[in-house]
Amino acid sequence: MNGFVPNVATPVVLAGLALVLAGPAPAWLARAHWPRRVPRAALVLWQALALAALLAALGAGLSVATLAVLEERPNAGVLVLYGAALAVTLTVLARLLWSAHTLGYSLRARRRRHRELIDILGRIDGRAPGAHVLDASPAFAYCVPGVHTRLVVSSSALETLTDDEIRAVLEHERAHARARHDLVLEGFAALRNAFPRLVRSRAAFDSVAALVELLADDAARRRAGALPLGRALTRLAGTPVPAEALGAGGVSALARIQRLAEPPAPSYRVLATATYVAATALVVVPTLTVAAPWLSQLSAYLP
Amino acid sequence: MEYLWSATHMNDGSVHTDDASISGARNGVPAATVRQVHDALSGSREIAYTTVMTVLDRLAKKGAVEQLRDGRAYLYRPAVTRDELTAELMHEALGTVDGADRASALVRFIDTASPDDAAALRTALSELEERSGS
Repeated sequence: MNGFVPNVATPVVLAGLALVLAGPAPAWLARAHWPRRVPRAALVLWQALALAALLAALGAGLSVATLAVLEERPNAGVLVLYGAALAVTLTVLARLLWSAHTLGYSLRARRRRHRELIDILGRIDGRAPGAHVLDASPAFAYCVPGVHTRLVVSSSALETLTDDEIRAVLEHERAHARARHDLVLEGFAALRNAFPRLVRSRAAFDSVAALVELLADDAARRRAGALPLGRALTRLAGTPVPAEALGAGGVSALARIQRLAEPPAPSYRVLATATYVAATALVVVPTLTVAAPWLSQLSAYLP
Repeated sequence: MEYLWSATHMNDGSVHTDDASISGARNGVPAATVRQVHDALSGSREIAYTTVMTVLDRLAKKGAVEQLRDGRAYLYRPAVTRDELTAELMHEALGTVDGADRASALVRFIDTASPDDAAALRTALSELEERSGS
């Protein structure tokens, strides 16, 4: 058993990394304005950040556990400390899995029921091809995401919008449905719900929700034009929105219209590339520099 | 008849009818056999008897119609009114559902309450119109 000193640095570095990636890093990224120029790359960066934070937290807990096992003359206090760290890690993992499960279950049930209601109450209208039209007074449009998508437009929206504006709205919703933006949102909502209420932050979820809107805007802009989309946004901006969206980050109709006046996303190639590199580095660098040495050390020690 | 049965074809033009839309008052609505529903519907569109039967059976499973046994035949009548279904749908569509997770089941075209006033929106739009060259 000589020659191996349990490496206390590994869990400490990983725990520190997890804290930075879960706290200051998302707060900084949420405040930054440049991600809105490259929404696709920024969305990847957010997912890399979440994955890196999760891996670091799990790695910290597991490396503590190996410390406890490898300790030659374990002292009771240290063991309790190690055990507590491991318990915290496992709790985090269990909460996350539970949160993802309950959220996914309830969302799927609500969507299934909503699809049924749309199929019963919606009608078909030549002005909104591919969509179900609901005779309702607020002007709104949405999609029910999932394997069986439904695009929904209210009759009031049809009255408010011109044909090319309707097309822009439908292309926006189709982009959400096609790219399964709901899955990204669901993942970040599950992540948010997994944190205890006291330390829960909306920053990551709101930023991701905003990026997803901008991505759908970019798709609608390519297919239906910036101007019809901008006009549709202006006309529908007065729509009553859900209570939970009040005071949320997200992205306002005003910001989306202003963005349509800017050059389209492909103009920011360098920024996008740099963002993808940063996203890759977030996951790869800690794995290579901290986790890999720890694992090789571990395998060298084990018979 | 005090009530109306109508079936809507799916908008993709697929041959099967996915669902039926029902309007009518729950109280005092007489139950109807599949044959009667089919007769009422075939006045306005071509629809197969078996399609009506399948759809009614499916709606019964979903709780949208009540299925009553009358000897060897089944009788159907709306279990909920159109207004009740509309109210339920609007709850979700407008996001007034109370949920512990407070997550939206839908992806909306505009999902954020903008504090922006109409004037700011118009200014932004006219800027966009200028850049678009119209």
